[in-house]
Amino acid sequence: MTAYRLPEGGLVDRTTSLDFRFDGTRFKGHPGDTLASALLANDQLLLARSFKYHRPRGLVTAGVSEPNALVSIGSGARTDANTRATVAELYAGLEARSQNNWPSLKYDIGALNNLLSPFLSAGFYYKTFMWPAAFWEKLYEPLIRRAAGLGRAVLERDPESYEKCWTHCDLLIVGSGPAGLSAALTAGRAGLRVVLAEQDFRMGGALLSDSTAIDGNSASVFAEASLAELATLPNVTLMPRTTVFGWYDDNVFGAVERVQKHVAQPIAKLPVERLWRIAAKRALLATGAEERPLVFGGNDRPGVMTASAIGTYANRFGVAAGKSVAIFTNGNAGYRTAADLLRHGVGIAAIIDTRSDAPAVDDLKDVRIIKGAGIVDTMGGQRLGKLVFERSGYEEVIACDAIGMSGGFNPVIHLACQRGARPVWSSELDTFLAPDVGGGLSIAGAAAGYYTLSACLADGAEKAATIAADLGFAVTADEAPAVGEEVDPSFTTLWYVPGAKSKAFVDFQNDVHARDLGLALREGFGHIEHAKRYTTNGMATDQGKLSGVNAAGILAGMRGVSPAEVGITTFRPFYTPVSFGALAGTARDMHAAPKRVSPLHGWAERNGAVFVEAGLWHRSSWFPREGERTWRQTTDREVLNVRENVGLCDVSTLGKIEVFGTDAAEFLNRLYCNAMAKLPIGKARYGLMLREDGIVYDDGTVSRFGENHFFVTTTTGLAAGVLSHMEYCAQVLWPDLDVRFTSVTDQWAQMSIAGPKARAVVQAMIEDDISNVAFPYLSVGVVTLKGGLKARLFRISFSGELAYELAVPAGYGESVADAVIEAGRAHGICAYGLEALNVLRLEKGYVTHAEFDGRVTPDDAGFGRMVSAQKPDFIGKRLSTRYGLTAADRMQMVGLKPAEKDKTIRAGAHLLKDGAKPSTINDQGYVSSACFSPVLGHDIALAFLKSGRERYGERIVVWDRLKNEETMAEVCEPVFVDPLSAKLKV
Amino acid sequence: MSFQSRHPLEGKAGSAVRAVDHLEIPRSVAIATVLSRLSDAAMVVAGFAAAGDLTMRNVAPGEWLVLSHVERAVNLERRLAALLADIAEVVDQSEGRVLLRLSGPNARRILAKGVAVDLDPSVFTVGQSANLRCGHIAVNFARSGENEFELIVFRSFAESLFEDLLAMGREFDLSYGFSGGLADQG
Amino acid sequence: MASFISCPHCGIRPKEEFTVRGDASVIRPEPDASDEAWHNYVHIRANPRGRTREHWQHVFGCRRFLVVERDTVTHEVYSVTDGGSR
Repeated sequence: MTAYRLPEGGLVDRTTSLDFRFDGTRFKGHPGDTLASALLANDQLLLARSFKYHRPRGLVTAGVSEPNALVSIGSGARTDANTRATVAELYAGLEARSQNNWPSLKYDIGALNNLLSPFLSAGFYYKTFMWPAAFWEKLYEPLIRRAAGLGRAVLERDPESYEKCWTHCDLLIVGSGPAGLSAALTAGRAGLRVVLAEQDFRMGGALLSDSTAIDGNSASVFAEASLAELATLPNVTLMPRTTVFGWYDDNVFGAVERVQKHVAQPIAKLPVERLWRIAAKRALLATGAEERPLVFGGNDRPGVMTASAIGTYANRFGVAAGKSVAIFTNGNAGYRTAADLLRHGVGIAAIIDTRSDAPAVDDLKDVRIIKGAGIVDTMGGQRLGKLVFERSGYEEVIACDAIGMSGGFNPVIHLACQRGARPVWSSELDTFLAPDVGGGLSIAGAAAGYYTLSACLADGAEKAATIAADLGFAVTADEAPAVGEEVDPSFTTLWYVPGAKSKAFVDFQNDVHARDLGLALREGFGHIEHAKRYTTNGMATDQGKLSGVNAAGILAGMRGVSPAEVGITTFRPFYTPVSFGALAGTARDMHAAPKRVSPLHGWAERNGAVFVEAGLWHRSSWFPREGERTWRQTTDREVLNVRENVGLCDVSTLGKIEVFGTDAAEFLNRLYCNAMAKLPIGKARYGLMLREDGIVYDDGTVSRFGENHFFVTTTTGLAAGVLSHMEYCAQVLWPDLDVRFTSVTDQWAQMSIAGPKARAVVQAMIEDDISNVAFPYLSVGVVTLKGGLKARLFRISFSGELAYELAVPAGYGESVADAVIEAGRAHGICAYGLEALNVLRLEKGYVTHAEFDGRVTPDDAGFGRMVSAQKPDFIGKRLSTRYGLTAADRMQMVGLKPAEKDKTIRAGAHLLKDGAKPSTINDQGYVSSACFSPVLGHDIALAFLKSGRERYGERIVVWDRLKNEETMAEVCEPVFVDPLSAKLKV
Repeated sequence: MSFQSRHPLEGKAGSAVRAVDHLEIPRSVAIATVLSRLSDAAMVVAGFAAAGDLTMRNVAPGEWLVLSHVERAVNLERRLAALLADIAEVVDQSEGRVLLRLSGPNARRILAKGVAVDLDPSVFTVGQSANLRCGHIAVNFARSGENEFELIVFRSFAESLFEDLLAMGREFDLSYGFSGGLADQG
Repeated sequence: MASFISCPHCGIRPKEEFTVRGDASVIRPEPDASDEAWHNYVHIRANPRGRTREHWQHVFGCRRFLVVERDTVTHEVYSVTDGGSR
């Protein structure tokens, strides 16, 4: 038996021992323990050092609001920092470490801060480290951050897996205490789809620690029986270890389920945490209430806890918080804790009641009860030893090793106020309650201000019945369980115990004490939100769960107003911290984003392709051969081979859209800036799309297969955008046009076969005559491959060479590509990738989105004459003629060649007149694309230059700020190979 | 010359043991997009019904996917074109779409990891179909049975969706394998 | 922003299935309308506090452009209708 484990009682399995370590020391606990209860049982009261003063700290609570007992759990990559020991379920092999101390928890050098504390008042950092400004970032902040810290994040890769999941229900009940359980029973029996979420690993909430009898048994027996019934109902889902952390629009709740945080070795096929999005028709908050700490001198010494925490450790975990416990209370609840402890055989040093008119209590006859008194100081090192109380000017010291403080109750209303509703002050209950937030969410039990067990049970059932009836379910009234003798929960608020002889803490984790709030007020930060930022009250990981209402009360007292006027700081998601892993879910590595693969991907792999990610697509970039050591060697070879022989390139990723309808021609005519209506059947045409502001949006080809049937292609990058744009035009702008379309991008494997020998290769593949006469430049048609497969053939070129694009149903792509390579072997065919494609188009002066970068007009890129003047309307027509888009000194596309052949030109470089200093005013333009041309043997570039078309032959400086290089270049026409396009049309 | 069609998930070996929750990859399914004017939509649906043996999936007003497990792509396209002449266009998508069939007692729980729609059979009923989002990927989604769902995905996304579904089903030891065609040998 | 949008064609869907294009109340002017009309159409947008009508495209669903009438403050969605007037 460990030092503070009670001989009997509690919901822990005493037949089994669990070994665990804290700061390297081995301890034992039981299944059913939290790390906190097990440490407490082992007399390990000191658990942490405070954030600012490094003061020794122990447990304050037995639940989620714990401000002090933050530890790191796990080891190596599996370390979770800043975990509250009070909610960490104990398991065999658990390893925990304390935080924010050096060299150890017991002897922490940082505690010197405590001696300096007269200087470390609220706002100290802001005032002291203001000047000189540069010192803040470089010196002060790093030092402060090192001194004042929490746990350390692990830099190793998280080995765990996480996932996300949706669920839908009629009623989500948050919290499985008396109100939640009785609501679940009522709703479950009525047939609603119920989700009952409980953040604890054991469901039952306050029933697990309440000593009041229900139906003649302990409350926990009632909880167990209720849960057993709920488990039999197929319409009820019980979700233990699940924290509902946020309430979002349309009654969607965010919740995190800790699936495997309580095991030493997680099972690989299960996530450790699961993030739930719960879409609930209705929700019922049965989140209970927090007991309020009392703000008195020395209230942060290890051993000072809330009375309900002491009660919970005794009743639920069978652990005594001390051997001689003092109760400090302003209401009747503290007496119940004292009675519980006495029943467990724990000594009560005294009950100190702030009320002089406290009612007499019968069953505590042997206990010393001191009324109208307040604790003003405590003594002890790493555990409390004595307290000093004051009554009517008279002080007395009492020996005790724990204090249970009971300052009243704060309903847990956070979720209800996360969507903008402000808590409202109840002068009747002396606390903040949630306002009516509308039909989607109701509040029951202690969270609604009902503090007795019978009231919670009744309220839960009643609210659930109302919801069930609203949703159209028939409810049968069940007999309420018989509840034993209850304590009147009333209290007399005391925000601050006067006469403090040492610091009286409000926010334990951030070391904010009552005088800090006074300072904030004196310096003009009396508004609750200002006070929060000035003092950091409520900014710690616990987000002011214990301190928020006390801070409001203290500020109200200082300002001489009601807390209603002070208000409370804003509640935002998340209610308790959520790991990044859970928020990311499965979205990492291969699941982070879909990988789109071309139907020729396998073919490219077999041909040794190196792939590049282009958006979601993985595209073949180059096809290295033995002996080639760099991508440039490979690309140069591929380019020269296409120019001299023939090559095959995968162009399946281009967006492909079938367009139908009697108005299809008119629709395309309005969509593109050039004329499309009279495109003959069996022909393709280059198409340029503008944005409504007159700037180029995308380019592609338009082919006509029938009177009312077109086929358009888009660039790979804007395929989705262009489809959406077309849908907008068809649905919203011109709904009266008879036009329909659908994407067939994925239906076709499309390969470009380009080079002087392309015809020989393609002709060997197909039955149809594709001679220059039968199938001239820009012809399109359905052809039959030898063997009978139907395909589409387009005589279009993006290389300047004689070229065909052959499209076959996607599944046949690899088989056909293999056959093309086979047919081309005698002609020296090679596979070529995106890099070679880019060089080929650059040599020919063809544009991509490197040129169409959202600033360029058709005329800028040399397409001015293509824009139709005849068409009455098309997207971008009106604004393309506006001043600014037609100015004479606009940047126009030109070619660049380095003056010295071995010099490099890089995309992104700016253009300057020779001798001009680099400046915005002197900027003449920029390089949009550049590459080495293996045909010419030197770099070439496309650039945009002011009035560029008038400046062919001029020498200009190419200024690359990133590489800090200047290169002289000659401005030329933006076409480097076959300027008359003779090769295209043979 | 003779050319073979390759399924985009070719090379996925299949599970050694078939689990209660199973992801089936029907090897050959003919799929066509049917497009009509909104005003002709009712006639098109009536046409599908008249044909009797066609499986129709809702995509959008005036747009459907039509499936056949017995016909070849060209035949389906030809038959639909004849059936719907003058009221709809038919586009073969057999090579551009991939059908995956997820079945088993945990199918709903698996899908809930990617699909936001309420999959309770009283809400998303047997026979219902729609385009929706599964994880990051757009799919056409249909409930073909109480515990059976069919997902039709763009070919280029098929492998990603397949891997996502396997990850979603890992908890239930989801198995997978081809059905139909040459690989249906166990 | 709403968690769900009730698509008139597809049913209740999460907002992640939609992309927002923007103000649905602007009307594309006639080709010969004034410069100012075109300038307003292309460049000028209000950023209303409160009730607003926007085009949301159901990109993961029916791909229809919907008119979503909603409140930018309360996030309440008043109506969702098809954006085409056919």
